[in-house]
Amino acid sequence: MKQLKDKQTGVRRLPGDGRWAAMFLAVALVMFAVFTLYPLFYAVKTSFLAYKPFGSDFVGFKNYTDTLKSALFWKSVRNTLVYTAAVVPLTLLLSFLVAVMIQPFTRKIQAGLKAMFYLPLLASGVALSVVWQWIYDSSPSGLLNIVFDFLGLPQQNWLNSSKTAMLSLIIMALLSGLGQNIIIYSAALMGIDNSYYEAAEIDGARFPAKIRFIVLPAVKPTTLFLTVTGVINSFQVFMNAYMLTGGGPDNNTNMVGLLIFNNAFKYNEFGLACAQAVILTIIIGGISILQFRMTGADVEY
Amino acid sequence: MKRTPKSVVSLLLCMVMALSLLCSCAREPDNTQPDAPRNDAPAGQEVETPKDGPAPEEDVITVMVPPLSNNYFAEMKKWADQFHEEYPHLTLKVIETSWDDHDQKLSTMASAGEAPDIAEVAYYNVGKYVQNGTAIDMSRYMSAEQMADYDANVLAFLQMDGGTYGAPLYTGIQTIGANRDMLEAAGVDVDKVQTGGWTFDEFLEALKNGTTDSCYGFVFSASGVTSADYVNVFGKAAGLNSAFNEDLKYDFTSRKMLNLLQATEDMVAAGYMPDYGIEALARWTMCITGEAMIVGKAPSSFENLARKNNAALDANDGTATENSIRITYARLPMPMMEGVPESCFASVDGLAMFRNVETTEEHLKNVATALYWLSSGDRAGFLCGDCFETPVCGSGREAFSKYAQEGMDERNAACGEYLVSKVIAPPAGVSAEQQETASRLLDEVIVPKVQALLAGEVGAQDAYQMIVDAAVEAFGEENCNLN
Repeated sequence: MKQLKDKQTGVRRLPGDGRWAAMFLAVALVMFAVFTLYPLFYAVKTSFLAYKPFGSDFVGFKNYTDTLKSALFWKSVRNTLVYTAAVVPLTLLLSFLVAVMIQPFTRKIQAGLKAMFYLPLLASGVALSVVWQWIYDSSPSGLLNIVFDFLGLPQQNWLNSSKTAMLSLIIMALLSGLGQNIIIYSAALMGIDNSYYEAAEIDGARFPAKIRFIVLPAVKPTTLFLTVTGVINSFQVFMNAYMLTGGGPDNNTNMVGLLIFNNAFKYNEFGLACAQAVILTIIIGGISILQFRMTGADVEY
Repeated sequence: MKRTPKSVVSLLLCMVMALSLLCSCAREPDNTQPDAPRNDAPAGQEVETPKDGPAPEEDVITVMVPPLSNNYFAEMKKWADQFHEEYPHLTLKVIETSWDDHDQKLSTMASAGEAPDIAEVAYYNVGKYVQNGTAIDMSRYMSAEQMADYDANVLAFLQMDGGTYGAPLYTGIQTIGANRDMLEAAGVDVDKVQTGGWTFDEFLEALKNGTTDSCYGFVFSASGVTSADYVNVFGKAAGLNSAFNEDLKYDFTSRKMLNLLQATEDMVAAGYMPDYGIEALARWTMCITGEAMIVGKAPSSFENLARKNNAALDANDGTATENSIRITYARLPMPMMEGVPESCFASVDGLAMFRNVETTEEHLKNVATALYWLSSGDRAGFLCGDCFETPVCGSGREAFSKYAQEGMDERNAACGEYLVSKVIAPPAGVSAEQQETASRLLDEVIVPKVQALLAGEVGAQDAYQMIVDAAVEAFGEENCNLN
């Protein structure tokens, strides 16, 4: 195969591979540009308008000031923070524990267990929500209330009480969203060289010590990745709140994603919705940068 | 580089991915009629062409509707053919939606400048389309005769800012309904109430007598967003007829709202109403299983549902609702609090004209022709008969006798007539902006406070004060009725 040597750097390059690389990348870049970058720029542009389909009016920063002055917006941010603070760490912890627990099994059994945990992710969010509505039905015939009644516990107004509505959404998120993290953690655990465990056993280390000094440091890059993506996904939560509670009761499960949706498609306030989306993007971006700075200094991918 | 089979396959996969971009931009297929052949007059019928001037240009009119009644879609297919026979240069293209996604689909399409020419719209949604400039004032394109066909008090629901933005199809009376036998056992003269009304004290007395360990006296679906129905429908009992009073001041800040909230708190505390959220479907199930005496909101179609369930129980074919009992359904007027004139909630659904990127003046004239045709005459008569409603236009009333369903309880039919006479149209002069602000207040403040009240997390007085504070901030104190 003919090789070219770059005159300046002396690096050997394969010109044919460069063209192939560009071609493969072009597909992803075009999709990114069309479905992510263009809508982003259009949303930023729309955020400065009072949008109307036949002639929008430029309103400057009015949508932003209206958003920042809105008590409902800050309540939604608070709700989203609470949801994220509960769901992300618990999801990581539970998925890590499950991944560790299924490690000793054979490949076949591991595959079966992973598939079981992953199945809810394949189901439609709407279908899942309908099932969870039945589980959380506040009447005595609701599934969870039947279990509570059997255990002698008081029945709960699951989705209609401020005390239990957010908890209901968190439980649903935890039980439905472990699959992907378990698979990623399993892969990370399988990547740890056995020699570390052998050396640890020679030194007399027990299971907790192995977890603490071998496993956790080894899966740190994975944990950082799952934390960052988990926070991003949690901040964008919409389906659960929309289908189960509609943001209630008393706006106590109204998330920023749902607020943006309502402003855009219920009230036709596209300018306001875009402004809120831009603010949400800034918040998520800021948190992600903070996460990398605080925990990712020594992580390489 | 030598091309290998692997590299060719990779190239093909790249092209498939790139081409999929174009496929994803395609519109999803409409659930529409196939296009009627152009210039296709039925045998023996000549196509009318004006003797003076050119033949009218052919035009396609898109109509987007949800299933307004059980057989609406099936009839719509026939109507499209009939319309084309009557107006050979015009073709109806029908887009069928579901109740779940109709509003959102229409809202998205309108915002993108691609609204259908005609679409179903509820009166409380008209304001946002007037605000964003997509709704068309149909009075500019219809004759005075056509406009006069519609009942004025019902047409008023779809009028704002000096224009008429929809042709009413029916007045959906939403009220409360009951198990007649249970109500009579609770000491109520149901026949008298159905055609003469009752007071709120009489209503509470019935609840007191009818509530048992296994049966709630009153169940109203108020879970989640259906809390809006509780305010709009049951609020009539307190005199909350509209978000604005005759002086165009915001009326949900008046003492009437406090009375409604207080009565609700008292009913829940007394055990007449459940202290947990009731889903929309659950209320009817509780009625026909004997777990609720009076239910709301209750559309006119509940009578039909009761008859069907009774027939299923008689046939013992397993299709009846589990644990259901035979019930005689009674439609009821709203119980009125002291000093409140009787009224009932009417949701007016209609067909509206919309602007899109292809709209021209000539096209709008054709759209108005189709709009009037679809909302009058046989079409209106059929729709009202199919969904047990009373026609709201003169031509529809003439045709209604052909379509009125048999077997309707005469007492419920009489109650329906009584209720229609109690419909109070919203005050004229409410602007689109006012309507939109009121709609937002209802969703973002009033409904959440009602949810909290039903869950026992906030008291009536506190909830009322929060509503007042939010309304004053939105409208200004001078524009709110605080009496």
